[in-house]
Amino acid sequence: MKRLIDTLQSKQAIVLLIVFLTLGIAPLFIKNDFYLDGFILIFLWGAFASAWNILSGYAGMVSLGHNAFFGIGAYTSTLLFLHYGLTPWLGMFVGGLLAACVGLALGVVCFRLRSHYFALATLAFGEVSHIVAMTWRSLTEGAEGLALPIQPSLYNFSFSGKLPYVYMGLFLFLTLIAVSYAIEHSRLGYYLTAFRENEDAARALGVKTGRVRLLAMAISSFASAIIGTFYAQYFVYIDPSSVIRIQISIQVALFAIVGGLGTVLGPAIGAIIFIPITILLRAKLGTAIPGLHMVIYGAILILVLLYMPKGIYGMLKQRGFKIFEKPRKNLAPLRSGIEVNSGQ
Amino acid sequence: MDISLFVQLLISGILIGGIYALASIGLTLIFGVMKIVNFAHGEFLMVAMYVTFWLFHYFAFDPYLSILVVMPLLFIIGIVTYQLFIRKTIGAPVLTQIFVTLGLSIVIQNLVLLFWSADFRTVSLSYASTPIVFGPYASLSIGEILVNPPRLIAFVLAISLSLVFYLFLKYSYTGKVIRATSQDRSAALLMGINIEKFYRLTFAIGILLVGIAGALMMPIYTVHPFVGFDFVLVMFVVVVLGGMGSIVGAMIGGIFIGIVEIFSSFLIGPDSKQAIYFLVFIAVLVIRPSGLFGLKGEEELEHIETID
Repeated sequence: MKRLIDTLQSKQAIVLLIVFLTLGIAPLFIKNDFYLDGFILIFLWGAFASAWNILSGYAGMVSLGHNAFFGIGAYTSTLLFLHYGLTPWLGMFVGGLLAACVGLALGVVCFRLRSHYFALATLAFGEVSHIVAMTWRSLTEGAEGLALPIQPSLYNFSFSGKLPYVYMGLFLFLTLIAVSYAIEHSRLGYYLTAFRENEDAARALGVKTGRVRLLAMAISSFASAIIGTFYAQYFVYIDPSSVIRIQISIQVALFAIVGGLGTVLGPAIGAIIFIPITILLRAKLGTAIPGLHMVIYGAILILVLLYMPKGIYGMLKQRGFKIFEKPRKNLAPLRSGIEVNSGQ
Repeated sequence: MDISLFVQLLISGILIGGIYALASIGLTLIFGVMKIVNFAHGEFLMVAMYVTFWLFHYFAFDPYLSILVVMPLLFIIGIVTYQLFIRKTIGAPVLTQIFVTLGLSIVIQNLVLLFWSADFRTVSLSYASTPIVFGPYASLSIGEILVNPPRLIAFVLAISLSLVFYLFLKYSYTGKVIRATSQDRSAALLMGINIEKFYRLTFAIGILLVGIAGALMMPIYTVHPFVGFDFVLVMFVVVVLGGMGSIVGAMIGGIFIGIVEIFSSFLIGPDSKQAIYFLVFIAVLVIRPSGLFGLKGEEELEHIETID
């Protein structure tokens, strides 16, 4: 707690606070739905990218199947509401728990696999989920998708204006940042990093690498599903191609990587930068030149990975911009030792 | 299911599987030697299909003849890709390798979409539209078996080329170096092998092989900018089933997946074929992640030494 207070007193924290306050207060004065929509998308994808980052960034287990968890969240709450009238506020947590269980099962099966194989296994899992959602018509209506009735009420998690969604989104966004902060500064975070850097060394030091990764998987999949419900409630329509396609996983990975992998703020920064660009490109070029914005995305992804592998946040950090960073002095020799051992 | 139908399905499956095998050999080779899973592999297949299509469209080039153009072209594309992107990812964290090749795949897909639109395009061959009839073989109580010529030609060429390549790996000097590099990089380096050069060569050969498969597939399948993604998923299944890095494994895995695909689309329905081979995929990963012919332990968590 003391550390948190210390951090909050630094100059950079003030910059950060200003950014967050702007994100929080600006929507109150914006009357244009187009811009409010932009805010909601930033929060939604920023939160999702943070959730992905918990497993793939901190633990280094590359998941290409997070679209499945997102879809589980969106479909569970929507189906529970449509068939049983259960409020999405509860359906959201049912979806979250379901996704966490599925994530744990997947984890138990796949965690002994080396990272390439893990990525392929999660990719297959995501694709199977997509196929299941497409073909299990009696439950999901297949490609036709599910529409939520528009009956604004608190119980229905449905509102007439965009402002409530903005603040719901902001809440999720900040919560995920807080969770990332808590993980990074807890034993769990150190264990995950130790596993990522060198599994053998971590085990030799007594880290139960399997258990901590399962925990990371559970948190990550739970959060992804919650965000999936939020997506469904905001867009009031879901179908397999909007909530379970593989591109969703690639997109959140892109945000996290460009922003800064395995950092508290990286995924959020990625979303803050990318979402406005996406909206602009789509609005200006979307129909005239199909595919151009994807070419730009792919190119940025490659360039960042090859020339700026720590992402934007990593670059800022190198230039002395430090927030939420614990003084690493004592750890420095240990860290470099680990890096030498793993040969990277 | 009567025996004629069974044989018919089996033969169709084997024929498709031969092409899957050829397409997957490049992927497994690149993984075996460089420890990189090339997520953009399907895009090179798609590019080769387009090259074949345009040659046919503008110059009435026979698709099988266009292999002679596709081979050098894809080889050069492979070398350029290696120099620009892949070289820097060797020994990098797995995440970097995955997302660089994924990024490459996104860029190629959408460039193709940009220039050549999302239209579905096909090549139909006048001399190959009537199926060849085998049988009936009364003694085996098998009725007529129908085979589409493009599938038969593709299978024969794919399998022969795979065998040629296998022999090349087994007996030529270059092949031996490639295998040596894949078995033990450090030792190969100590023996004075220019690893960098052979990485580049391996990558280019891998792309060339998938290019040939693309040309062979053009008379059978429709091409569109996103066709590569569907096929790369099949190739992943084949390669993991056969064992990453194993050429023989990719050939057998390819044929097996071809058979699984045909039988599951017939018995359960064409929508489910993907689900079926993904279930095979996950089952392999759970039961024997090293695949049928992979080195045991290859897939388990351990750190690969890097080369500088």
